[in-house]
Amino acid sequence: MRDFGGIALLMAALLTAFPTATQAQMEFSLDEVDEAEAEPAKRSESQGDLIEELAAGDGDTADGPAEPEPQREEIAEEIYAVQQIYALRLKRLELAPSIAFTLNDPYLPHYGLGLALNYWFTNVLSLGLNFIWYDWGIDPLERGTNIVPRIQNQFRLGVPINDWQTGLWVNFTYVPFYGKFKVRKKIFQWDSYLVGGVGFMRTQPIPVFDPAVRSFDWQTNVAFNVGIGLRIFLTRYLTFFTEFRAYMWPDQFENVDVAPEGAGRNDPATWLQSESAFVANTSIQIGFTLFLPVKFEYRLPK
Amino acid sequence: MMMLAKQTLSRISLVAALALCLLLGDGLRSGVSSAGAQDVHLSGPLAAAPAVKKLRLWRDMRLHVEPFFAFTIGDEYSKSLIVGGELRFHFLDWLGIGGWGGYSVAKLDTNLAKEIRSKGVTRNANRLDLPNRENFPDQTGRVNWWSGVELHFVPFRGKLAMFQKVFFDADLDFFVGAAFVGIEERADAVGRPSPGDVAFCEFAGNAMDAGCLESQLARSKRTAIAPSFGIAFSAFFQDFLGVSFRWRGIPFSYNTGGTDNNNDGQIDSNDRLKQFNSMFTIGLIFVLPPKTKTTD
Repeated sequence: MRDFGGIALLMAALLTAFPTATQAQMEFSLDEVDEAEAEPAKRSESQGDLIEELAAGDGDTADGPAEPEPQREEIAEEIYAVQQIYALRLKRLELAPSIAFTLNDPYLPHYGLGLALNYWFTNVLSLGLNFIWYDWGIDPLERGTNIVPRIQNQFRLGVPINDWQTGLWVNFTYVPFYGKFKVRKKIFQWDSYLVGGVGFMRTQPIPVFDPAVRSFDWQTNVAFNVGIGLRIFLTRYLTFFTEFRAYMWPDQFENVDVAPEGAGRNDPATWLQSESAFVANTSIQIGFTLFLPVKFEYRLPK
Repeated sequence: MMMLAKQTLSRISLVAALALCLLLGDGLRSGVSSAGAQDVHLSGPLAAAPAVKKLRLWRDMRLHVEPFFAFTIGDEYSKSLIVGGELRFHFLDWLGIGGWGGYSVAKLDTNLAKEIRSKGVTRNANRLDLPNRENFPDQTGRVNWWSGVELHFVPFRGKLAMFQKVFFDADLDFFVGAAFVGIEERADAVGRPSPGDVAFCEFAGNAMDAGCLESQLARSKRTAIAPSFGIAFSAFFQDFLGVSFRWRGIPFSYNTGGTDNNNDGQIDSNDRLKQFNSMFTIGLIFVLPPKTKTTD
């Protein structure tokens, strides 16, 4: 019985192996196809130039069998095919969720969650919106770096800091660069784009110099942005992207001077600095894009 | 004993046969899957063709000489402008080894350093940290020279079209290695008479430095060893010429501000802060030998 069990196991294993072997026999091998395709090709070579034969008409038959004309041009042995652009953007909507990290604020790290929506009205140019949310309800002074207390203790300097809530921009995106990368035997299509636009950024000064009295509301600032990005196509509708963006706006910070009691300390007009400072937030954004509709058609020349 | 051995032998044979069959089956299956992948290509003009023909080998057994200009990013008090060079030899098109070195030719104070210089306040409580605000930029730590050896991996390569008119080859170079940096920091000093109430400093060369003004400018130098890594985008325009944009990270500790960061009343090695130092480099690549080989 034990032997039968073993044989049954062996049979099962062979059966597992057999379908694949059978499948392998069912496959058309490269050689078979080459032979099949090569045969008519040889025949056509022996027939010579078809147009010359037609032009000659029946006259040749009257003179008896003629020797085949020597072939004037050699048939090219290699045919090169040029790949179509892998993914067209034309008339497609691009949806791009991302995360944003600020690179150049030594006092306060900012983490944002972004969403961009672009419509490609040519294959290289789009108009869209991008939105980033920065306010996650965490006390900005708690998430500040240790450089703020160091500056206060070591240099007796206060640093006016603004927190950010959100930003919204209207952008143009232009794709001047595209290419493909080879990774072992796979080829990935990618492009690099320039982006820029205008919108607004909402910020709020954090009361540092006179927190007992001062409090600030969110203020809306006109903001600009420029950037450069890299997009790698994972499929014809899904890409991974990373971009470097510089978001710039004129911002008002807390006034480092505190007016004496009774001489304007409680006057909100004295709480902010009289002049705006130019803020340039350079950040890295990483995310995915989804092109809709997921399918598209190439327009081929007739 | 023999009977047991025979039974065991038959079981082992059976299991071996089973394993062989499964392996064979799996092997055939994998063979079929690859044959299946070929079948897809059979109907097209690129049937059985390699992924790339006439591939230009920019790196294989070639030397890259790269003079570069770099600047550090993310510094607290001053940025370094660096001029240097890099030499790389590639055993394969995707693997190479190289060395680099640079010298900080200039430094740019950050806005924070400018603020401290113009608005910093000195009291006995912080005299050790800021003896004189005007001289603050001279007390900060800096890196005078940079060097390193690195292993380079180039897994991604391809070609790039610019404005659909200009085409050139490009690749991404990942590298990792060790860096050797020449650091200059504020020299060790002790605040007297007591921490938090400093009237003078004691340091090598002056035991009674009134107001710590001399100690503020006293310097010490050392060499630090640190890991280095990064990524570069290289584009090649001619057989012998290319351009590279490189980001390199070198984390190491040093006393960036020349201050008493652990509040122990003295400036010493314990005040060094971990810094993720990074730089951006723009280089011109000269490739030797100048003639580029291509694959079939």
